[in-house]
Amino acid sequence: MAKRITIDPITRIEGHLRIDVEVDNNSVSNAWASCTMWRGIEKILRGRDPRDAWLFTQRFCGVCTTVHAMASVRAVEDALKLEVPLNAQYIRNLILIAHALHDHIVHFYQLSALDWVDILQIPKADPDRTAKLAESLSPWTRNSRNEFKAAQDKVNAVAGSGQLGIFMNGYWGHPAMRLSPDVNLLAFTHYVQALEYQRKALQVVGMLGSKTPHIQNLTVGGVANAIDLDSGNALGMDRLEQIRVLLDEVVRFIHEVYFVDVCAVAAMYPDWFKIGSGVRNYLAVPDLPLDSRGSAYDLPGGYIMNGNIGGTHAFQTASDKEFRESVSEDVTHAYYRDGGKSLHPWVGETEPAFTGWDGEQKYSWVKAPRFKGEPMQVGPLAQVLVGYAQGHPLTRKYADLALSKVSALSGVHASPELLHSTLGRHAARAIRAAMLAELAQKHWQLLVDNISKGDFTVHNPPEFPWHEVEGVGTHEAPRGTLSHWIVIKSEKIKNYQAVVPSTWNASPRDRAGAHGPYEASLLRTPLARPEEPLEVLRTVHSFDPCMACACHTFDPSGRQIEKVRVL
Amino acid sequence: MKKVLIGGIGNILLGDDGVGPYIARLLTAFYEFDENVEVVDLGTPALDLIDQISGKDAVILIDSIKADAPAGTVLLCGKADICRNSPCVRMDPHSPALVETLLAADMFSVAPRELLLVGIVGESYDSGCELSDAVRASTPHAITEILSELHRLSIPYWGRENPAEAGIWWTAVKEHPPALACRH
Repeated sequence: MAKRITIDPITRIEGHLRIDVEVDNNSVSNAWASCTMWRGIEKILRGRDPRDAWLFTQRFCGVCTTVHAMASVRAVEDALKLEVPLNAQYIRNLILIAHALHDHIVHFYQLSALDWVDILQIPKADPDRTAKLAESLSPWTRNSRNEFKAAQDKVNAVAGSGQLGIFMNGYWGHPAMRLSPDVNLLAFTHYVQALEYQRKALQVVGMLGSKTPHIQNLTVGGVANAIDLDSGNALGMDRLEQIRVLLDEVVRFIHEVYFVDVCAVAAMYPDWFKIGSGVRNYLAVPDLPLDSRGSAYDLPGGYIMNGNIGGTHAFQTASDKEFRESVSEDVTHAYYRDGGKSLHPWVGETEPAFTGWDGEQKYSWVKAPRFKGEPMQVGPLAQVLVGYAQGHPLTRKYADLALSKVSALSGVHASPELLHSTLGRHAARAIRAAMLAELAQKHWQLLVDNISKGDFTVHNPPEFPWHEVEGVGTHEAPRGTLSHWIVIKSEKIKNYQAVVPSTWNASPRDRAGAHGPYEASLLRTPLARPEEPLEVLRTVHSFDPCMACACHTFDPSGRQIEKVRVL
Repeated sequence: MKKVLIGGIGNILLGDDGVGPYIARLLTAFYEFDENVEVVDLGTPALDLIDQISGKDAVILIDSIKADAPAGTVLLCGKADICRNSPCVRMDPHSPALVETLLAADMFSVAPRELLLVGIVGESYDSGCELSDAVRASTPHAITEILSELHRLSIPYWGRENPAEAGIWWTAVKEHPPALACRH
């Protein structure tokens, strides 16, 4: 008899992501992903000036501010067919790269490493042995005995106090935790160090964007950074040099720590290369434009259907015709009024019709985006597979390096096919981070070289026609393909829809009954202890979910937090 | 000199949730501070909040709050009040995470010595850029609480003779509550 398990983090706020699974013989037999909060904030944009849209969209989410700002200006530029000067492209690219590096580091260490790393094993580790192990893996200079000892002392202090603090709710001692005490200590030490390096990446965003958490330097048609090589206030050589130094430190952390750790942890959990695959349709858009028109990019885009890596299709531009014409949203199982057919985002509607959770009918506030009618997985894995399939040299370089490291450490041959999995998503994020780290240095140089030629242009002024125009702005964000769809008439926004990465991945079933990627990835997952569904969290976390940190109301009453309910 | 952060938290697109950023901007429009005092519209920072509070001597956060009290009521919470909530299993790792942030800051030994949450009970969190009347009317009271906390910490501030533009670009209602009497 199947058991139903609900994981619903009813936190201080009105909930976000809820997962329901049916478990049969300790294996997941059915799954539902739902978002428990309605936003509908796109409506706020109607009637406003399209030049201001990005200021509002960067408030959609507190973590992904930059990405929504960027997609928004790109949507307006696409509608106006407005080119963006080279300097502006490079400055935007550097901001996007720095933000993504920050995001990927935080995701692995702060947000998901503790699904694999058992904190309570750390007191048993030997810092000397850990240092030897670390030296064998990487040239990182902070892999010293002292660093490991200091990190172990922190854990001992917390564990000894009886108050686990931040570690209060981990599944410590779970049978699915399998790292040795030394490896646990190694990973935890890097968890502590990661905090410093993600901050350095964020500093770059702040220096180029004038401010964090909300950048201020964007404008439709370019950026608002004044370039003056001799000035301390404008973007000059002093500021650029500070940025270079910060980027170099982050790049070293990515290549010598993050990339290595992911390969090492993956090698110790090889069975997780066979779990968590799910939807094998992948979608990614090209990003990091190399010219003002947006006809060449440093990150490739395209799509793959049914896991057929040999049959990939490439997108030539970030607003490729095939992409523009193939996206629709289905609300059969979402709490919206359903006109009986899927709608293209330009004519998309967001009329709430809440009916309560019913797995057979409607059960989520997330719409079901589809590409050519099919559910698609987005995120670093999609981007890496699309690039790998197209023979993109930079993707191949780091994907092959990761696979060969995993093979060497685990003693089993790791092929690209293994990437269709929970661990594959972590590996792909590390591969993407390694690529972006190299591209950070490249785009810094491109910017400096272009300025040195005497080109200080940062902005092309927009001109708005009175007739109706449509545009799509895309960005291959840390969590995957993001697209903002805008309709402009008489200099005012007529319609606006954002199709965000987590909507693709967290989508509910569609009219045809096809599962969304989270749901499909959980099917057949083995659970050692269904009442402690660590394995479900591992797979869901591997997508890096972000269900719109839209509301921040604090509830001091500490209303009972219902973590896991078994029916 | 003590390093101080005054941070307004909340989403300006969701009604009364935007009261934190709103008050942060009013403060900078009506008052001047020494350069060791940072007043920031933080939006909804999730775990990035650690970077904002680390290394500060005192932190004052302004946030909308849920409580069994009428909309517009101003409530003060200390660190112990906030941390009474245990951190939950994070399905969505980017959820707003005040408790997690404070506990993490403790572990990394970067937590501020002084922490005060100035909470304003909200009325509506529906999508929209305007505050409810009750919450807007309570903002002078919230500002008084912030200033008394600065006073208690011996942090100076000065009322501006000519208030600056508040830069609350998201609202259509341009009339802000009257400035408060300047206190030292």
